[in-house]
Amino acid sequence: MKTDLTLFSRGADAADRPDANRRLLLFGLVSAYTASLVPWAMAQEATDADHGAFLAVSAILVGRQSLDAAHAGRLYAALSADDPEFPAAAKALLELIESRRIDPMQLQQILDDEQSPLKLVPWRIVTAWYMGIVGDGAKARCLAFETALNAEAVSDVLRPPTYAYGAYGSWTRKPT
Amino acid sequence: MADTLSADFVVVGSGIIGSLVARKLALAGASVIILEAGPRVTRAELVARFRNSTRRSDWMSPYPSVEWAPHPIYQPEPNHHIVQAGPYPYAAEYIRQVGGTTWHWAAHAWRNVPNDFRIKSLYDVGVDWPFGYDDLEPFYQEAEELMGVSGADNTGSPRSQPFPMEPVAEPYAMRRLRERLASDYPVVSNTTARNSRVYDGRPACCGNNSCQPICPIDAQYHGGLSADAAEAAGAQLIPNANVYMLEHDEQGRIAAALYYDPDKASHRVTGKTFIVAANGIESPRLLLLSKSDKFPGGLANSSDMVGRNLMDHPSTSLTFDADEDVWLGRGPQSPSSINTMRDGAFRSEHSPYRLDFTNISRVDGATRSLIAAGVYGSELEKRLRYSAAREMNVKNVLEVLPDPERRITLSSETDSMGIPKPQAHYSIDDYTRKGHERSQQDFRRIAELMGGTNLRFSKEGEFANNQHICGTLSMGNDPKTSVCDQWGRAHDHENLFLAGTAVLPTSSTCNSTENGLAVALRSVAHILGQDGAAARGAATGEARA
Repeated sequence: MKTDLTLFSRGADAADRPDANRRLLLFGLVSAYTASLVPWAMAQEATDADHGAFLAVSAILVGRQSLDAAHAGRLYAALSADDPEFPAAAKALLELIESRRIDPMQLQQILDDEQSPLKLVPWRIVTAWYMGIVGDGAKARCLAFETALNAEAVSDVLRPPTYAYGAYGSWTRKPT
Repeated sequence: MADTLSADFVVVGSGIIGSLVARKLALAGASVIILEAGPRVTRAELVARFRNSTRRSDWMSPYPSVEWAPHPIYQPEPNHHIVQAGPYPYAAEYIRQVGGTTWHWAAHAWRNVPNDFRIKSLYDVGVDWPFGYDDLEPFYQEAEELMGVSGADNTGSPRSQPFPMEPVAEPYAMRRLRERLASDYPVVSNTTARNSRVYDGRPACCGNNSCQPICPIDAQYHGGLSADAAEAAGAQLIPNANVYMLEHDEQGRIAAALYYDPDKASHRVTGKTFIVAANGIESPRLLLLSKSDKFPGGLANSSDMVGRNLMDHPSTSLTFDADEDVWLGRGPQSPSSINTMRDGAFRSEHSPYRLDFTNISRVDGATRSLIAAGVYGSELEKRLRYSAAREMNVKNVLEVLPDPERRITLSSETDSMGIPKPQAHYSIDDYTRKGHERSQQDFRRIAELMGGTNLRFSKEGEFANNQHICGTLSMGNDPKTSVCDQWGRAHDHENLFLAGTAVLPTSSTCNSTENGLAVALRSVAHILGQDGAAARGAATGEARA
């Protein structure tokens, strides 16, 4: 597997989605195992290694080959604001996945079983990307709704609530 | 200046019922003041709050409680506005703001079925209403025309005139339910205050799928529109006016409403007739708060019935994965039901119920479940799409019988305005529980007919609440066992009327709003017929002074 500066596009359907032109195309420079999960990985130039690690581990956890750069910056800032240790934790999580070659589907179970101090980190990252929400309880805040990944994941069939599905009666048709 | 306020009619509460009562009185020429505890909030603000919410599945998240008029909040932390006395928690939700709680309803606008009015006579349970279906029928129609109700005739409630609108176009998922369940169950369109065409200047539904907590285009009727209509008819609406006491004169007639503004300055509003329409919890709370030497148990309470017979609709449910893609979330949220168990001889044994299918998008809920289960990587999107496409849910809507032991009282705790909080004494009895048990066979059969797998029944012993608060100011012919007469007039006070779902003597199996509204419109017709001339005369007299 290539580990250097491999560039991926999302395919034709990506062009129809919001922010398609603003996708961050990540460049990779990680170990072979992580790269097999995220073959394009790592931030360009990586002036900030922690941010790069966040992007890489985000890509692994959400199973995406490209992520919006500006939004990634907002999520990273918000997660770091909640927990000054977050940048180091995200990097430690990436290193753990790399060093032990952990499948994303096994990750949470392993962290829970080992009572790892990192056990909440994947949940925070995936919730940020998929729900658009950072933080817990009264400190939670919404950073994305219609561009949260869970809305994008179904955007070929559904509109986010409050957005019109279509003209009156359009919902009677079989979804395709 | 505020202390000089006076009107023919003073209405406490600007929800759908209080506002439409006020509108009808104002159109008849009376002067009307509406006192609303909460603030004005616009539809655009509510849409923005929803989109920015961190709890999009919590319908209350766009409606935060305000300090000068608190209402119950349960997430992220409960504010304990309703003190729970048990044995079963009554987690009621309602909204104190201009327009009230129907800002975030599913707009179900059902009529009772005729036998709902006579369950004591027919089934020896509950009580009979002081009037029958035929007496209420014209007012159901009036309510439906005001709200703009769409529906079909096959729901068990006879009509003398057609629905204002045809049913809203059936979402594909509901069509599949109807087709695949046809051998066993008729799946019918819900009767809803939702536009299937342009109606009253509001557009047809365009499938935003956020009926709860906010329709962004007013294709769905709500109490904010009622409040607008009341003001357009000439009623004066005062927001942020938290009524904490009704005063009476020596004859026991109501003389004034006292309210706190947000700075807790007290104001006094006088009137000829008072109408309390502040919902099934805040209305009895206000009457209980209005104690005096003459009425030590509060107003309208010589029978000790104020706050008693608290009812709602508990639900249990089944979620399953269908064997085909149906993609809930296209079109309105709550389009279809099965009505076959709303009435029958079995009502002498167990609760009747309506079976209700959701069409709420599964995306947020499925995402949370998958993340909580540690599903990460490319599998997350794959499983999310599967759940969003396949998940379906059916719930029962169970009748609760009137029982004086289920009740709202005043707590020794006070709220942020220093006013004693409401306290709920609630329970789920065997009658309702047996209805739940009976419905489980329907749940299983429905899942079977849909090729369902991964059946997830709601936790045994847990009942979700539907926020159809009723019964706490029940109407009836006997002053010893009811709070008001069939016109909503308090047995104890000639010029005090009660309006809202609180006056309903039984809960039946349908959402309480249309019943409450139709009964209130019937009360207003009575008030105007009996007192209309006097009210119109007074409108130009001292009441305007």
